[in-house]
Amino acid sequence: MEDQDRKKIIIMLRWTAIIVTSYLILFGKGRVMNLHLSYLLILIYLLSNVSLSFFPKKWFSNLKLFYPLVLLDTGIVSFGMYLSEKMVTDFYIVFFLIIIFASVSRNFKLLMVIGGITALLYGVLLYSWGFLLKEDSSYTLRVPFIFIMTAFYGYIVQTLTREKRQELTISEDKYRGLFENAKEGIILLRNHQLQIADVNREVEKVTGYIKGELIQKEVFDLFPPEEMEKARDYFKEVAEIGEGRTDSLSLMKKDGVSTEVDLSTKRIDLGDESFYQMIFRDLTEQRKLEKKIRQSKRNLEAIFDGIRDQLSIQAPDYRILRVNRAVVERYQTTFEKLINQKCYEAYFQRSKPCERCPVSVTIETKQPATSIMKSSENNTTMQVFSYPVLDEKGNLLSAIEYVKDITEEQRLQEQLIQSEKLAGIGTLASGVAHEINNPLSGIIGMAEIALEEEDPTKNESYLKDILDCAQRISEIVKGLRSYSRAAKKGEQGLVDLNEVLEETLKMVRLVAQKTPVEVIKKFQPVEKIQANIGEIQQVFTNLITNAFQAMDGKGGKLVLSTRSIGDSVEVKVSDDGMGIPQKYLSQIFDPFFTTKKPGEGTGLGLNIVYRIVTKHEGTIDVESKEQIGTTFTIKFPARRVES
Amino acid sequence: MSRKILIVDDEEVIRKFLRIHLTKLGYEVKEAADGEQAIEQLGKDNFDLLICDILMPKKDGWEVIKEAKSDPKTKDIPVIVLTAKNEDTDMFKGYDMGANYYMTKPFTKAQLLYGLKLMLKETPEEIRV
Repeated sequence: MEDQDRKKIIIMLRWTAIIVTSYLILFGKGRVMNLHLSYLLILIYLLSNVSLSFFPKKWFSNLKLFYPLVLLDTGIVSFGMYLSEKMVTDFYIVFFLIIIFASVSRNFKLLMVIGGITALLYGVLLYSWGFLLKEDSSYTLRVPFIFIMTAFYGYIVQTLTREKRQELTISEDKYRGLFENAKEGIILLRNHQLQIADVNREVEKVTGYIKGELIQKEVFDLFPPEEMEKARDYFKEVAEIGEGRTDSLSLMKKDGVSTEVDLSTKRIDLGDESFYQMIFRDLTEQRKLEKKIRQSKRNLEAIFDGIRDQLSIQAPDYRILRVNRAVVERYQTTFEKLINQKCYEAYFQRSKPCERCPVSVTIETKQPATSIMKSSENNTTMQVFSYPVLDEKGNLLSAIEYVKDITEEQRLQEQLIQSEKLAGIGTLASGVAHEINNPLSGIIGMAEIALEEEDPTKNESYLKDILDCAQRISEIVKGLRSYSRAAKKGEQGLVDLNEVLEETLKMVRLVAQKTPVEVIKKFQPVEKIQANIGEIQQVFTNLITNAFQAMDGKGGKLVLSTRSIGDSVEVKVSDDGMGIPQKYLSQIFDPFFTTKKPGEGTGLGLNIVYRIVTKHEGTIDVESKEQIGTTFTIKFPARRVES
Repeated sequence: MSRKILIVDDEEVIRKFLRIHLTKLGYEVKEAADGEQAIEQLGKDNFDLLICDILMPKKDGWEVIKEAKSDPKTKDIPVIVLTAKNEDTDMFKGYDMGANYYMTKPFTKAQLLYGLKLMLKETPEEIRV
């Protein structure tokens, strides 16, 4: 039964008793001995109930209230009976009302005492009027009856109380289980002296004390001396507000070592007593973790700042969230001036995002992007990479922009291509010399014979041989001229791939003429591409030379084909030579990768091919099977000529 | 009995002028247009001199020389290497493999005669011009 209900029931029962008693005193047929005294009695009775309604609810579960209250009521009713000189049955009923509200206290002892007193008072009243020893025993029997009724109520109250207690035991066990097994340490403190009343297992675990050592200790014994001040302030605040939380206090363990805890305390009322419930969580692990996180954050920051390339993190609205030192140095500014500015404003003083900016691609597509940006201002070339940072739901949080200065790299690459080209020209020169030397020998030989010949009729045949040889030389020189003209040009222009393939083939054949190779040309008319003709020639020279070498004098078939696919032009160079072992396929484009003996190949040929093709935004693929052959497929983006 | 010379070259015009020169000088001349033919000829006849080009289809000059030098019957035949490649490495390779004389194309009749005389150990008088 709640305090609320208890208060209501008691006040209601008393009102009933007051009304009945007043009525019987004032309007009963009996003679009232002293009218003023009667009014005073009724007034006291009334006032007692009115003042009772101002009492705090929780007092109604306290026996200290019940004893005087019940005694007061019994006294008033008995005195009322005495004043009215009436021994009517109705008064007798009022006694039962009093006994009933006494039973609300749920206390057997109180009830029995009240029953005894009531029976006694009633007996005294009966005796004073001479009813007690009359022949008619109906009044006399009422005395033990009051007592029997009280005992009966007492029995019911006791049974109810026992049941209640059982319930309480069960819920108490449940609560115990929760209390003991909680992952948090729980300390119960007595209200006034903050004495430890109970602790759970976690407290023992964290502090190293056993329960027995902690009970009756003051809570402040659990704090290290240097934090005592802070702990006192904390509990002062808790006492004022009723609760409080802190994570800046430590508990001192039995061994004297402090442990940081997350502590929250709340005032709770158990029965008539108030307690503080102190719940804490050991923060040692968390602090360790926090330290680790801080450390790794510092590491990342150091790496971020240590990278010599520019790194910048942009929000989806282009605001700069973070930059590394390289960016600050590059734009000769400060971190503060960049953060939260739009990148295009801060870096380039533009009003909208830059064209071809990979960051805008990433912001739109959530995909990584890259592009090469040339700066005419300081003649540098930058490769800009952009990577998306997504949350768990796939929303774009930011884009990481990574700017790499590739000026030097590109210069070296150009140099490498150039030196490879020179090496190629060297090979070509010796091949061409060889090719020319044969017909030249023929010319010299036949001319000497013609000079010595005495029979002029025979000279015609000799001269014809000389002419043939001279024409062969002339062809070679022509081919050489067109090849070197292309190689010299060097700048970008529209290139007809079929033409370049044809010329290149001619030259390579000169060098490797003795290899009996059948060349099949499957040229389709294709769009011209925007390219450096010399570099394209270099690509084909290297590929066709490789094909001839793969067929290694044994002869074979070389297929050269071109065709248009959508917006790109495809060139295939395939041979039926020895093929490339599977294990090398992934490495063939790497620089300095070669399977040839030292001195026979630089390992740069295919790497140069790869670099030139990618420089022209093309792709190159290779398919190869040992003893079956190799096919290189190159795709260049076509440039349609607008007429 | 006139001496027998085998000319090996895939260039017909070179074989032709060599043949005319050498026939005029009184040698008996046989020809081969590639390495395989050369080896076949070597097996059939006894030669006093082998004039051999290097870069040829099928079997090249190096293989011809190797086979000639590994056969006891032909290993003593002097070999003149003809090559259009003007590289020292080729020359040394030729000597290493047993070639006896090395001639770079283009060459004149005089250069040819010098080489012949040297290889056939003939005095200038024996050479009928």
